[in-house]
Amino acid sequence: MADYVLTILLPQVLHGLVYGAILALVGAGLTVAFGILGVMNFAHGELLMWGAYVGLAALALTRNFWMALAAAPLAVAILGVVVERTTLRPLYGRPPLFGLIATFGLAMILRELVQIIWGQETFTIPSPFPGVVSLLGMTYPTYRLFVLGFSGLVLGALWLFFTRTRAGLLVRAAVQDPEMLDALGVNLPRLFTFTFAASAALAALAGLIMAPIFTVYSDLGVETILYAFLVVILGGLGSIGGSILAAFLIGEAQNLASLWLDPRQATTIIFALMILLLVVRPRGLFGKEGLLE
Amino acid sequence: MSWPRLLGLAVAGAALLVLPWFVRVYHLFLLLDAIVFALLAMSLDIVLGYAGMVSFGHAAFFGIGAYVAALSLLHLGPSIWPALLLALLAAGLYGLLVGYVATLGRGIYFAISTLIFAQIVHQIVFYTRELGSSDGLHGVPSPEILPGVASLVLDHPGKYYYFVLAVLAGASWAARRLVKSHFGRVLLAIRENEARARFLGYRVRRYKVVGFVLSAGLAGLAGAIYPGRSGFAAPEFLHWTMSGEAILMVLIGGRGTLVGPVIGAVFFVVLFDVVSSYWKSYPILIGAILILIVTYAQGGLLGVIRRLGWWRPIPSPALGPLPGPAKTPGRSLKSRATTGAGDVHG
Repeated sequence: MADYVLTILLPQVLHGLVYGAILALVGAGLTVAFGILGVMNFAHGELLMWGAYVGLAALALTRNFWMALAAAPLAVAILGVVVERTTLRPLYGRPPLFGLIATFGLAMILRELVQIIWGQETFTIPSPFPGVVSLLGMTYPTYRLFVLGFSGLVLGALWLFFTRTRAGLLVRAAVQDPEMLDALGVNLPRLFTFTFAASAALAALAGLIMAPIFTVYSDLGVETILYAFLVVILGGLGSIGGSILAAFLIGEAQNLASLWLDPRQATTIIFALMILLLVVRPRGLFGKEGLLE
Repeated sequence: MSWPRLLGLAVAGAALLVLPWFVRVYHLFLLLDAIVFALLAMSLDIVLGYAGMVSFGHAAFFGIGAYVAALSLLHLGPSIWPALLLALLAAGLYGLLVGYVATLGRGIYFAISTLIFAQIVHQIVFYTRELGSSDGLHGVPSPEILPGVASLVLDHPGKYYYFVLAVLAGASWAARRLVKSHFGRVLLAIRENEARARFLGYRVRRYKVVGFVLSAGLAGLAGAIYPGRSGFAAPEFLHWTMSGEAILMVLIGGRGTLVGPVIGAVFFVVLFDVVSSYWKSYPILIGAILILIVTYAQGGLLGVIRRLGWWRPIPSPALGPLPGPAKTPGRSLKSRATTGAGDVHG
């Protein structure tokens, strides 16, 4: 029994935490952009994929994972600025479904650009911490622990940003009442651009740090965005805390379910569970009635 | 119906009837594709354009229709009727489940619930060996209208074309009757102001679910036509990118018009064929068109034509805003009046 817990159950719980942490980064970025811009970004998965590919290129150039970890969010944030200025800006103030559909088109473009530049190959990024550590009497890959810690740091920094800085306060104020903020003389367009760039950077970070665990391929975005949507819907639209909780729930559910089931069946089970949850709570765990429906 | 419209319809019908004599087989297949997707887009328009519910899951109904029809043709004999009927029923039944659950939420919750439901079907089919997994079902025999009558075996795209054209005509007629009926008017009312429709005493959710089921059934019918054309059903039909493409067709043509989505589907199929033949990265163009339409021409092609004055404007609010909140709380930069604005009225 103890053997089972140590060698099978505990690693799987940790896997779930790691996966949940990555999903939390993805979901937080998606939620922030949604809360402020009112745009459900279908291209978020593609931004994540771009993070992984830019990281790949930076890695090939510098042979240094940390350089890649800095370059990917920066480059994708710039991409985010371009996207926000050209595609999203005309859509503010329109019903959120316009944004959903426009970013669907954007996702098609971004995915295709990846195929043009990098082709359809599958890439792997070597782990910067290839070893294992012993933990509670079992061994566990060092890099996954790093992912857990790093995501925790980023999420913590995000929390500090929202609660302790003036910029964070402005962002939260923009969720509540952008007109009032406008009237108070805050440069809203700049705030919006900044928010979307930050959201893109979060996606890129998630894309790069998950790359050494999984692989990098041109359908990565399509497959991730579904989970990202699950996370923000389950958490409740606009609730960052909710989406982080939902990310860990989904991560754990996925990994624990695959203890007994084929991973593919596990995915189906997750989807079915999601549906059940949405029946019980149609607005997710922390969604508010009437918000952007 | 006015005389010029009737005349236009007659000319268009005659053109469609003689078209197969003038085109090559390749283009016949293209025409069949266009009709299949026209049906799919039309079905989506009932919920998206009229009821204002953005379904991101119509791939499920389309795919279910295709798979059920393929199974029927493979195992229940080559008669087309059970294939169509079973496909319609299966898609409608799944539509009942999806519609019942998804209408618990609205707007984005609805859109993503339908997306998840569609993805469940995709996952199940993709990993079920009996359904051909990632390869899909192949070797579907040519359908027959009357079993045993050789001349009524739809083994040539030219023959199949006429059959499918008849299905399209019938479905268009039914869909038009539906949206012009009291039921269709209530759907419009729900799109325009759901709370008011409820205050007027309509059981809003029931209307939404029934509208969704009818739409799903029609989407299933569209899917059911496909295996007879190509001899296969593939899991790609069920992928959510297919749902996205269907939305694209509706938006390109002009939502809430029924004719618009048909035009959109034809446009999409032709564009796809032309561009993909010399540019591998055609999705870039399609994505760009989608963005441009959402940004600048929310009435779609039909809206542009109307704006140019080539088409009699319809006095009904057929081109209302995409569904959204009556009031977007604190979402706009300039004024709340911009919400859903930019639509073309006449």
